[in-house]
Amino acid sequence: MVKIEDLKRINLLKDLPDHLLKIIANEAQLSIFGAQTHLITVNEPVNTFFMLIMGQVAIKRELTPRIDVILENIQSGSSFGSSALIKESTANYTAICQESSEVITLSGERTKQMMKENHELAYRMMLGVAKQYKKHLDMRAQMIMKTLDKNPELKKDIKDIENLTLVI
Amino acid sequence: MVEKDDLKKINFFKDLSDPILEKMGAIAQLEIFDEENILFRQNQEQTLLYMLVSGKVFLNCRSASGESLTLDEVSPGRTFGVSALMGESSSTFTAICAETSKIITLSGEQMRLLFEEDFQVGRTLMLKVIDLFNERMEMHTRQFLHSLARHPDII
Repeated sequence: MVKIEDLKRINLLKDLPDHLLKIIANEAQLSIFGAQTHLITVNEPVNTFFMLIMGQVAIKRELTPRIDVILENIQSGSSFGSSALIKESTANYTAICQESSEVITLSGERTKQMMKENHELAYRMMLGVAKQYKKHLDMRAQMIMKTLDKNPELKKDIKDIENLTLVI
Repeated sequence: MVEKDDLKKINFFKDLSDPILEKMGAIAQLEIFDEENILFRQNQEQTLLYMLVSGKVFLNCRSASGESLTLDEVSPGRTFGVSALMGESSSTFTAICAETSKIITLSGEQMRLLFEEDFQVGRTLMLKVIDLFNERMEMHTRQFLHSLARHPDII
């Protein structure tokens, strides 16, 4: 169990009403993980949703067997592993603590069950996850546009630039 | 108001149940826009969800250096402006009709009110949006890594 005040420090949960935060607080766990702990490992199932209270977590992907690329450094207030809340899937990245980190965890299975029973909880959590994705996608789109602006020769390699537009 | 059978022609809505489509149809509008009509501009707040019934829409983006790039040509059955469903979000591109276009529009604000009245509808729609975002995010990451591997000088 965690305190509602701690949950309010998480961006994805900050607009949730107290009655929903109380439900989450009863299921959540607060843990401290040491530097270099693998919270999520590539190609392994994602069963837990992580919310960072303090510390820093790197999201990494392998570029070559000798080079890893850090796609993002997760800071306090941010969350990751949202696929644990949606469907069974394996990770396409590795999440490693860059320093000792205080993290709130939620079991994916248990949260999915709670969201099945409580549609308000499901809607508000999914809205938070969607906003988080949109923010990241906008950042990526801006990065890609900036890179293309600086390196116009890369345009010829991009065959599906329409995917930046989120048209369904 | 828009009939549910018209909404079923839209890819984004095709798996939704009739009761959900009826609720959305009640707040939807069918409008005709002339060629060169600007539906919304880059960096403006996104207030409407657009579903193209007929015609064609260009989605353009202007880079920091001022260069304009057509990112997509939207064809009938497709939806754009999904960030209107989430509020507090501005558009990353400009949408302009390439020809006279028949478009179903849904107010983001009314949709969010509908979600607040019926959380199940909200959950269903948000899951569809997340599925799309998740797929695009993975695609962008793969493209990014592919570009880095081909152009290591960017690192």
